[in-house]
Amino acid sequence: MRYQRPGLDIASHLLLAVGCGLFFLPVWLAFAASTHSMSELSGHVAPLWVGDTGLANYARLIEDPVNSLGTNVLKLLANSLVMALGIAVGKIAISLLAAYAIVFFRFPLRRLCFWLIFITLMLPVEVRIVPTYQVAADLHLLDSYPGLILPLIASATATFLLRQFYLTIPPELVEAARIDGAGPWRFLRDILLPLSKTNIAALFVIMFLYGWNQYLWPLLVTTDADYMTVVVSLKRLLTTGDSPVPWQDVTATAMLAMGPPVLVILLMQRYFVKGLVDSEK
Amino acid sequence: MATLQLSALEKRYPNGFTALHGIDLAVEDGELVVIVGPSGCGKSTLLRTLAGLESITAGELAINARRVNDLEPAERDIAMVFQNYALYPHMSVYDNMAYGLKNRGVAKADIRRRVNATAELLDLGALLDRRPRQLSGGQRQRVAMGRAIVREPQVFLFDEPLSNLDAKLRVQMRLEIRRLQKRLGVTAVYVTHDQTEAMTLADRLVVMNAGRVEQCGTPMALYDRPATRFVAGFIGSPAMNFLPVTVRGERLELPDGGELDLATGLDDGAELTLGVRPEHLTTLPDGAAMPASAVALDTRVELIEPLGADTLAYTRLAGLDEPVVARLDGEHAVAEGQTLRLVLTGERLHLFDAEGQRLAERRCAVDVVS
Repeated sequence: MRYQRPGLDIASHLLLAVGCGLFFLPVWLAFAASTHSMSELSGHVAPLWVGDTGLANYARLIEDPVNSLGTNVLKLLANSLVMALGIAVGKIAISLLAAYAIVFFRFPLRRLCFWLIFITLMLPVEVRIVPTYQVAADLHLLDSYPGLILPLIASATATFLLRQFYLTIPPELVEAARIDGAGPWRFLRDILLPLSKTNIAALFVIMFLYGWNQYLWPLLVTTDADYMTVVVSLKRLLTTGDSPVPWQDVTATAMLAMGPPVLVILLMQRYFVKGLVDSEK
Repeated sequence: MATLQLSALEKRYPNGFTALHGIDLAVEDGELVVIVGPSGCGKSTLLRTLAGLESITAGELAINARRVNDLEPAERDIAMVFQNYALYPHMSVYDNMAYGLKNRGVAKADIRRRVNATAELLDLGALLDRRPRQLSGGQRQRVAMGRAIVREPQVFLFDEPLSNLDAKLRVQMRLEIRRLQKRLGVTAVYVTHDQTEAMTLADRLVVMNAGRVEQCGTPMALYDRPATRFVAGFIGSPAMNFLPVTVRGERLELPDGGELDLATGLDDGAELTLGVRPEHLTTLPDGAAMPASAVALDTRVELIEPLGADTLAYTRLAGLDEPVVARLDGEHAVAEGQTLRLVLTGERLHLFDAEGQRLAERRCAVDVVS
């Protein structure tokens, strides 16, 4: 339903513009700060307009190791990307198979399995962090990509979402595929995967952001700068002891850290919305 | 192409519910057998056990004399058409039809040839690139048929394939299914709850009730000589009228006190059910004499349904709770509320005992009297 009142239209657009402005302001301030030199920033209020050392700041961060970090930002971004992709892809692969097993196969304790997966929703990383760390240490996973990815790779949310979608698939479709000679794997590959395309895209966006934004776990398992993620490094850049905080570095790194998630959202927005809103049948 | 043999086929679910109580049925090569019955009678379960979608608890199922009890659906060489079509929504019409062949490892060129030939047969040529959701109900139905035909299976299984179509399309598709089945000469089992569909399609009709076969035979045989009261009531539309009658020597006493000459050879006082179809109740032209051995039913018309060619009169007979339905000539002037004298001749009557079984000697008895 749409109201056709010009006054209302203008008012709602105004409200939207104010909202956008409010959300954009901090991002803009960070961007403006990232283009100034350290001397310009220290002791002043945050600048509202871009400075003239922007390119130099970014180039330096990407090429040279940052003193307090021991590595350059490009390496940090790469680490974050590996971790976020690993978590997103791994979560989707595991959830897909788990939901497939729970919905389409009859095995003993099927319901129990589902509820066991479901109650892990109540046990996020923060709750089980000590035992998880112990396990990761025993398996020699500290300071490694598997150590960053594996403990976060199972997802009850994704399993649940896919299960709900699978439940809407008419049983006749499964039977038709059986008569057409499609075994379990072929059914998964030829029928189920193409049908859950949009759901998978939506999950990928959510899970990529989840992985990218991880802070506590990477902070804990990585001591080696070679495995540090960009989100962890932001905090590290702020802890400088007695020397002044290099705000231009902090803000520039923050801008760079925003890049990949924004790209993922922009590229997959269409599927993302579609996957959450309708199930194509 | 194939015969189908069911012996003492039984299906019991883990929760103890028995859906099929020993079904015996032989389907000849090229025959179209229609299984009909009310919902919950086990007809769909029977079809699904034939397809291999449900396991068989006991008994034997053979296709072409080969025992297939434990074979996967794909290995039985059958094709099934579902009520909701069950087309793969993400595949084009072409891919929907080709999928089964692809899984069987048929060569690409072969698939193309067979799909195109089937599409031509079903007039689907222009739709091959469309997705199922871009098709109308009738077109989807044809694609579902095409998916079955293209596989060239031994047996076709139809699970109420027309119930999602509107009335006009249903009649059209019914004829098309019949025509295709005869043309391809393929053995087919067709499940429906619609007795008109069953009558018009079937070479042979199987009426099921509560997991058992009530009667099996040609549609006209079932119409003329229903073996049980259930079959009598199920086949024919509108349904047969049932009148409780009592044996009085060589006569039967009707609910309104009238008596009909009909020797049953049963003891005086035996309670029977007399069945007469609406189309076999006649009216007496003015001034005509009652035929010998006939009895008049004086009824009051409660409701009329003019169908054009015929008019259905729902009438009330003294001593009977259910209305007596008569199929009258469309020209016959009859008004609600008027009295109507219906003539019950001794012919084309059906007698059932208290268990609902047809009285075997009845026909001879009627012939003798009339």
